[in-house]
Amino acid sequence: MSSVFFTRLSRLFILLFFQVLVFNNIHLFGYVTPLVIGYMIVCFHRNTSRVGILLWGFSIGLLFDIFSNTAGMASASCTLIAMFQPVLLNMFAPRDAAEDFTPTFDTLGFWNYFLYILLLMFALHGVFYLLDAFTLVDWQLTLISIFGSSIFTTLIIIFIELLVRPRKKTKHYA
Amino acid sequence: MRALIDLIIKNKHWFLFILLEVISLVFLFSYNGYQKSVYFTTANDVVGSTYNVISGITSYLHLQENNRKLEAKNEQLRKQVYAMRQQLEAIGRDSIKSLPELPQIYHTIPAQVVNITLHKANNLITINKGEADGILPEMGVICSQGIVGIVYMTSRHYSIVMPLLNVNSKVSCRLRDSEYFGSLIWQRGYVNIAYATSIPRHAKVKKGDIVESNGYSDIFPPGLPIGRVVGLDDSTDGMSYLLKVRLFANFSTLREVSVITDYHSPERRMLEEQAEDPTKQDSILIQQEKKKAFEEEKRKAAEEKEKAEQEIIKAELERKYSETMAAQTAGNEHPEKTDTVR
Repeated sequence: MSSVFFTRLSRLFILLFFQVLVFNNIHLFGYVTPLVIGYMIVCFHRNTSRVGILLWGFSIGLLFDIFSNTAGMASASCTLIAMFQPVLLNMFAPRDAAEDFTPTFDTLGFWNYFLYILLLMFALHGVFYLLDAFTLVDWQLTLISIFGSSIFTTLIIIFIELLVRPRKKTKHYA
Repeated sequence: MRALIDLIIKNKHWFLFILLEVISLVFLFSYNGYQKSVYFTTANDVVGSTYNVISGITSYLHLQENNRKLEAKNEQLRKQVYAMRQQLEAIGRDSIKSLPELPQIYHTIPAQVVNITLHKANNLITINKGEADGILPEMGVICSQGIVGIVYMTSRHYSIVMPLLNVNSKVSCRLRDSEYFGSLIWQRGYVNIAYATSIPRHAKVKKGDIVESNGYSDIFPPGLPIGRVVGLDDSTDGMSYLLKVRLFANFSTLREVSVITDYHSPERRMLEEQAEDPTKQDSILIQQEKKKAFEEEKRKAAEEKEKAEQEIIKAELERKYSETMAAQTAGNEHPEKTDTVR
């Protein structure tokens, strides 16, 4: 149990470190800023305690808020996707998957995994940028920010995933 | 009862979810009532000092350009001082023996930017000076090129500034030549373009006109440059202009700023806010007291400094006196020696 806890804790701090120092300074076309902290919530395996996911999501959001002057915005959006993650993961889970499988390319398959991350990131950035703008006056800009950042973050997360967990060569037996 | 407890245990994640979301939203909304939530922002000491270290490193990136700009500004000021000196001398050659110092209209505290965002709707700047240095909310912040923004909240050693690049920022401004006034707002998008609204249609405006602070608010003294008009447009109501203004301050390389500390008049502020809302009086009084205490401290420090200086001068005089006395007695003892020197 404790080893899982420390893995998650170190994941939280590493993600926060890179988010604050690197990704917060990326502004593609002026609107697209990736929230890579969402990766924290993407990696929970099936049947993780829902309370646990909520608390982890809330804490990484809150820490991000403190570091980037966005009081409550990231914590609200991270808590929201922490609530959705188990439901979404169940939807994408293949029938023969283990009871507590971890979502990766190997367990979900490339496209399912991609879609799973994209949907989570879309919810995360949607709530975040709507709370940031807090108006629908310049909704085109907000929409560009949401779509652009979700796609960009998904690509970054897939890149990280490939870097951290290289794909095993799946052997096919007859 | 048992059924209720069962229900809560079974759905505990839903309750936790609602609780956490409510906490987040409370943060989000209480952030606007400043001072209370200062610990959850970059003005908090731990985060502020982290950013201080980071910006210490990244500041080298813009060093060259900043140096060039400072050099240019220096040169310009030098010329200005020279011109003014000449003017003063021309005016008062007979009556003024030594040049008097120009009266200082306002005092500033220099500060460094330790964190800045540019691409959000609510951009904020964190600077490394706070209440301990005499900075209070609603003081004006400028840089060498022009106006930067207004102090939003303060902690002991750090402050958060709401720059012109914030959708909630509204600074009163005027056109330098015609004195028609309006207010400056910002829309999300470009980091060097703001818009001047409420300037009446009969005002004569052309591209290249300079927009400056008008001194109606007690935050900025009149005449500080803000930007240059680059485009004319009509506002949506058709009654006034919507001027596109290119800001003088370059926010993407902003590093050195100054906070205007004593242009700020609490008496006037109190009167105005009382007229709007009589219940707000308390917070203003607290602010005023803080300011008074700070001024008292400043006065004491100045007195002590003066005393110390006087002591030094006294000691110096005594030393000189004793030296001349010694020299005189020495001169009396060896008159032939001084003669040979001559």
